[in-house]
Amino acid sequence: MGAQISSQQRSDHGEVLLVHSLDSWNTRFQNSKASNKLMVIDFSAEWCRPCKFIEPAVHDLAVEFSDVDFVKIDIDELPDVAKDFEVKAMPTFVLVKKGKEQERVVGVKKDELHRIIEKHRF
Amino acid sequence: MAVSGFEGFEKRLELQFSGRDPVIGIGLRELDFKSLEQVLHQVQCTVVSALGNQHFDSYVLSESSLFVYPNKIIIKTCGTTQLLKSVQPFINHARTLNLRIVALRYTRGSFIFPEAQPHPHTSFHEEVVYLEDNIPEHLCYRKASVIPSKLTSHSWHVFSAGAVEYPDGVPYTVEMCMTDLDQTLARKFFRHPNDGKNGDSAGREMTELTGISRININPNAHICDFAFDPCGYSMNGIDGDRYSTIHVTPEHGFSYASFECVGSVYNADIADMVKKAVKVFCPGTVSVATTNASDDMCMRIKGAVEQLGMKCRSWSMDEFPAAGTVVFQTFTTRRNIRT
Repeated sequence: MGAQISSQQRSDHGEVLLVHSLDSWNTRFQNSKASNKLMVIDFSAEWCRPCKFIEPAVHDLAVEFSDVDFVKIDIDELPDVAKDFEVKAMPTFVLVKKGKEQERVVGVKKDELHRIIEKHRF
Repeated sequence: MAVSGFEGFEKRLELQFSGRDPVIGIGLRELDFKSLEQVLHQVQCTVVSALGNQHFDSYVLSESSLFVYPNKIIIKTCGTTQLLKSVQPFINHARTLNLRIVALRYTRGSFIFPEAQPHPHTSFHEEVVYLEDNIPEHLCYRKASVIPSKLTSHSWHVFSAGAVEYPDGVPYTVEMCMTDLDQTLARKFFRHPNDGKNGDSAGREMTELTGISRININPNAHICDFAFDPCGYSMNGIDGDRYSTIHVTPEHGFSYASFECVGSVYNADIADMVKKAVKVFCPGTVSVATTNASDDMCMRIKGAVEQLGMKCRSWSMDEFPAAGTVVFQTFTTRRNIRT
């Protein structure tokens, strides 16, 4: 379990969980389908500097919206998931509820990301 | 024309690098964000938005755009930014990645408010002196030239330097400058007070309402847009390994819009994109500078602009080391024959 999901922060709430394996992603996605919780999927890559630029803001959002699940996927580690969600440019943030995409933001758009998380939160 | 105002005309810098390894990997994209911010700070601009794909990273800046490819940096800034101050820092940062500069090209139109420009941009002569002093010796093929038009307010300034004399079949670039924008269309680039939007969502709305989203018909292309407060707009388009970029200064008296894109022999649609871009703004004057484009493509662009009822006032060209042929065309509406 520990090897497949790592966290970028130590607090219990307001974490951005990095999902490294297909198994743990599938589990997480199935769990998300069964609940009413909003999930924000952050698609990024190690070599993507725009992704690095927005990273602190995403952490802040995870803390502010601690009732929302924040999951980060590296498109090189999980290319099939990136393909499923048709990720062509990065960063891409996909908001999912009960397994269905609600809305997405493509690019470094902190205000817009904040706005749609607030919109789909409940 | 107003006595003073925001300078929409950009300064553009393109730096090409190469490394000892044949496979460059991500090259310049390796540069960490802090290093990029440091350079941008010297130029007096900041990152407003960003978007990347497998080919390159694009940044919308407070004063235009930055594109980072593995072996190329393109930075375009407007206003009173000191763009040339980024030359040394970029060269130095590239060196830390074992990348060596092999070509540099600096281009710009004519400033609407030239007296407002700071050093080293107070004159083209000063810019050339600064460049000559700040680029390495191995860029030994150099040329500076001002390409004129029949309009005294529209000339095209080019400085090119390279380690080799001829370009190696690189894609061609189209740099379009539009002034005297139709005021009704320009108003679409003003924010509405209390619109309940942020710069991102207002930018998205402008992209849709003005037809900018329809310039590139490729559904896989992405646009990263932003609307400034109280007015102004910027966008970077990414389509595979090609970028496009639009910047708008809508205020009456010094209204300006630019459209820039990259083309290759595989894109027959560039002339069409140019035509659509002109239609977004219905400007009084258009200038189009192409670098390394075929005569055929230049003719197609001319034809596309003329189809909108504009008259071609001039067609001039010059050859530059490392960059190739630069063709500079100007057009005005038939009613607008003032210089």
